Amino acid sequence: MSKIKQIQNLLEAKEISCVELTKKYLSNIEEKNKEINAYVNITEEEALKTAKLVDEKIATGEKLMPLEGIPMSLKDNISTKNIKTSCCSKMLKDYVPIYDATVWEILKKQNSILLGKTNMDEFAMGASTESSYFGVTLNPHNTNYVAGGSSGGAAASVAGGLAAFGLATDTGGSIRQPASFCGLVGFKPSYGSVSRYGAIAYASSLDQIGPITDSVEDAAIVYDSISIYDSKDSTSVGSKNTSHDKLNSSIKGIKIGVVKEYFEGLRDDIRKLMEDSIKVYQGLGAEIVDITIPLLKANLPVYFITACAEASSNMGRYDGIRYGYKTDSYNSIDEMICKNRSESLGKEVQRRIMLGTYALSSDRYDAYYKKAQKLRACIRRDFKKIFEECSVILTPTAPTTAYALGQAVKDPIETYSMDICTVPANIAGLPAISVPCGLAENKLPVGMQLIGNRFEDYKVLNIAYQYEKETKDQNRSLWQEVEV
Amino acid sequence: MVSKEEIIKIAKLSNLFLDENVMEEITEEMAKIVEFADAINTIVCDEDIEFDNINQIENAFNEDEVVESYSSDEVLRNREGGENGYFLVRRRV
Repeated sequence: MSKIKQIQNLLEAKEISCVELTKKYLSNIEEKNKEINAYVNITEEEALKTAKLVDEKIATGEKLMPLEGIPMSLKDNISTKNIKTSCCSKMLKDYVPIYDATVWEILKKQNSILLGKTNMDEFAMGASTESSYFGVTLNPHNTNYVAGGSSGGAAASVAGGLAAFGLATDTGGSIRQPASFCGLVGFKPSYGSVSRYGAIAYASSLDQIGPITDSVEDAAIVYDSISIYDSKDSTSVGSKNTSHDKLNSSIKGIKIGVVKEYFEGLRDDIRKLMEDSIKVYQGLGAEIVDITIPLLKANLPVYFITACAEASSNMGRYDGIRYGYKTDSYNSIDEMICKNRSESLGKEVQRRIMLGTYALSSDRYDAYYKKAQKLRACIRRDFKKIFEECSVILTPTAPTTAYALGQAVKDPIETYSMDICTVPANIAGLPAISVPCGLAENKLPVGMQLIGNRFEDYKVLNIAYQYEKETKDQNRSLWQEVEV
Repeated sequence: MVSKEEIIKIAKLSNLFLDENVMEEITEEMAKIVEFADAINTIVCDEDIEFDNINQIENAFNEDEVVESYSSDEVLRNREGGENGYFLVRRRV
């Protein structure tokens, strides 16, 4: 059952007050966060203040809004007025936004309970949270492993029972991969359906905000609340369809595309779980179709060039003058800016800025950035053709389970290559979800990914929901019951 | 192939200092990553196709109206030092 609905039922039945519930979550955080490091900032005062308001509303008998009274977390690159938003970087460690991100404005209006801001790779550039200025987030399933990244803190907050859901961002898999590593549902909506206003930009044409939850139903509830057109985001479209009311639609006769290349070279235990997932869908009456993504090999370099080029441009704003880290000694304004940046931005962030600058430099622009954009258009066109036949594409979320501590950062190319399953959805702006599909031989969670057509988020959520419903007993250990 | 000179130029354009001690290592690392990115130049694609934005949306223009915004004090609250709406930098003259 949906954790969000379960909490609201308890609140409305007055079996627990919102203040008691919030205190319970805060006490879990107090107990576990020292080890897991899911949160970098805990907003206890704000949480209890809102919880009190919710209790007052419940006392009047008024019906709760969909996310009202639900304790949740926000990734630390989502702007929160008067609450530190650091992007887990030394550059912004003391930065306090003067405005709210639109998604937080929506949740605030619904009286959602913000428990705190969650850990992430610095400026979302990483896949393990090991580049966070505040240290790595550990995987609640096994603390010898990372929670994934870049939204590792958001995933660990939900998997560790430290939040009912988390909002995070996904540029190349940053919601789906940590959800997969932590045995959760991670949903990256269609580009444009959720406003990016107030999400601190990494790569603006790829970034998207979405939920990390315990169940597909919860992901649909959160998505329906946040997918609203916003005039403050020039790429905002909103969503024409709600998804929660379509969760029980039959999937009999639908076609699910399976990409053979994703299964080649895959670890045996992960491949077996993927094949089992396919069988579940066949049992539900779906038809499995072998497909190829014609430019699959181009996806990683296209993603990488585009992301770095946009990062190079977006990161240009961090001069340390208007806000951010400021060095102690300098001889000129130029030197001060260089020092502010070099002394406060981490190695991976500097590497990506330089690669982006290289790809955008006048003598390299055509060979890298322009070519990558042409290929991006081809990739988008090819996906459009695939979705004329298939409702969704099924892939593993990641070719591996969670990395052991320190393993992810050894070789940059190898680390970038791990995003092969998730980046195509960002390149083409498609909705994609990661759903837990069992445990690997090392007893760590594995995620299955479903990618859908643009703005058919409701279909992706329904097809994922059918799988979850069918397998929930088998995967029960991954979907924790709320403890209140 | 990426040369050390190119790395120095790129670092300057990026407003970043590179320590001489790590120059070798960074040049080598960048060369490997550029080689990885170079894969796109071995892939043939339709030359006529262009990418504009993901949702193919067009520019929307608003009326140029003055609306309420943030105060200077609010906007400048995250700067280090400075007063009366100014930034403070060290005196050089």
